[in-house]
Amino acid sequence: MLEVRDLEAGYGPIRALDGVSIEIGEGETVAIIGANGAGKTTLLMAISGVVPTRRGSVTFRGQPLTGLPTHAIAKLGVGHAPEGRRIFPRLSVRENLQLGGFTQTNRAAVARDIDEACAIFPVLGERMSQMGGTLSGGEQQMLALARALVGRPKLLLLDEPSLGLAPLIVQKIFEVIGSLSKRGIAVVLVEQNARAALKLADRGYVLETGRITLSGSGKELSGDRRVREAYLGEG
Amino acid sequence: MSAQFFLQQCLIGLTNGALIALVALGYTMVYGIIGLINFAHGDLIMLGACLALSIVGALGLAAVDPAVTWVAIAGLVLVCGLACGSLNVAVDRIVYKPLRNAPKLAPLVSAIGVSFIFMNIGLFWLGSADRSFPELLPSDNVLPDDWGLQFTQKDRLVVLIVVPLMVALSILVRWTKLGKAMRAVSQDPTAAALVGVDVDRVIAATFFIGGFLGGAASVVYSLYINTIGFQMGFQNGLYAFTAAVLGGIGSIPGAVLGGVVIGLVRALASAYVGERWTGAIVFAILIVILVFRPEGLLGRRVREKV
Ligand SMILES: Nc1ncnc2c1ncn2[C@@H]1O[C@H](COP(=O)(O)OP(=O)(O)OP(=O)(O)O)[C@@H](O)[C@H]1O
Ligand SMILES: [Mg+2]
Repeated sequence: MLEVRDLEAGYGPIRALDGVSIEIGEGETVAIIGANGAGKTTLLMAISGVVPTRRGSVTFRGQPLTGLPTHAIAKLGVGHAPEGRRIFPRLSVRENLQLGGFTQTNRAAVARDIDEACAIFPVLGERMSQMGGTLSGGEQQMLALARALVGRPKLLLLDEPSLGLAPLIVQKIFEVIGSLSKRGIAVVLVEQNARAALKLADRGYVLETGRITLSGSGKELSGDRRVREAYLGEG
Repeated sequence: MSAQFFLQQCLIGLTNGALIALVALGYTMVYGIIGLINFAHGDLIMLGACLALSIVGALGLAAVDPAVTWVAIAGLVLVCGLACGSLNVAVDRIVYKPLRNAPKLAPLVSAIGVSFIFMNIGLFWLGSADRSFPELLPSDNVLPDDWGLQFTQKDRLVVLIVVPLMVALSILVRWTKLGKAMRAVSQDPTAAALVGVDVDRVIAATFFIGGFLGGAASVVYSLYINTIGFQMGFQNGLYAFTAAVLGGIGSIPGAVLGGVVIGLVRALASAYVGERWTGAIVFAILIVILVFRPEGLLGRRVREKV
């Protein structure tokens, strides 16, 4: 459903992506692992049209995304929970979730989706009128994920959803991510927590300084010697 | 001096403050959404006044039956509001939008440039001398005589136009989809785009609303003060901008509060101290408040961790 071909993107003189090609099938969960500064965030931001691409193409369900503005890409069904959560700090939890459904025209459907998100993350339901910025880090991450889900994405880009969270919350978040493929949502999961990500994912890619250096099923990658040494802290 | 005199000055101050607040909203909304101090806002209002004067002249509104005066005024507010709103959007499109990712000083200097261009258009339109604006409303008191207070039809006009506009604005910002999108864009434009908000359209809508309020203010001002001139934008803009900063720039209730405070201070200072001291007193108070509350009366103290 998503095909990235030979993508180059960067910032001024910095070339952060240098010919990246990846593919995600319907309902598939794909992990992208790589060291700090490898270009993972840039890749997701380029897919979403935030960082302009210089070369190559991004195609989503047969439609080219390259050159489309970010909001139009979101409207096509590409959800994105960005690095650092980036919830709206001075909007209430409810308003944050409502904005998640911004592209939806049916208000009642958005209200239902918000209820559903609160069933997944009950703590959000208890904090509906609280400002987003007053939530704890873990609660903010749940809100970021819930906000993206309310948009009913067909493809969800997740940028380090477990960063800085307590193990129990990480487990909860990974559980939810694992359940997305059953709902028919394809996921691109960028993670520092490579072990958990590869366990969850159908397939994975290793990104190193702007290039894909390895790819394979989650099992293959977690068994690969280079991956074990560099990303799983073994060897 | 009597309590009645004091009350009278407060009434004058509140009315003037409401008008200042209406202009201050235009500054604070644009600042809130793109962080730009729109120096041309005062001059936009001057152009609104030019348009109002031309319309009143062309349609002979000064001579209409008193029964339809209010219809004429509502029409003027609407037309000047739409015109100023559209002009504001056009300026954003042509001048500020290409500079969206440029360093902050570039759009600021451009705004000063736009201010001068507007002033020159006004000079061409009105001539260099002040022009008197026809009295569409008489200055007779609407309060019972035994209250001993003056509140004229003109004062009432200010309240009748400004208060509903402010209520409408609060409802829009608080409850509508556009209002939520505006607040989201002002907090994190990238995150807003990622949930599907068309950021450029939201910014354009903000310029339109700020300009519309400015256009409405230009009509109220013209009917209230009855003198307009090509330089009126500067001083009025300065007080309104000050009100926005005093209230906490970016904060909508702050702009209203700041406008009312400045209106009151001006009225009381000119009544009890003397007209020529008002400017100094207003800005002295501004400085004192900002020393203790740099973020303004209702501004945010710190950035939240995001
Ligand atoms: N806004 C920016 N301006 C300039 N350079 C940038 C910017 N954002 C990222 N870079 C550079 O681009 C490269 C890739 O950064 P990116 O954020 O995509 O890495 P990442 O894989 O997400 O890293 P991390 O794991 O630390 O989040 C880095 O060298 C980084 O310094
Ligand atoms: Mg990153």
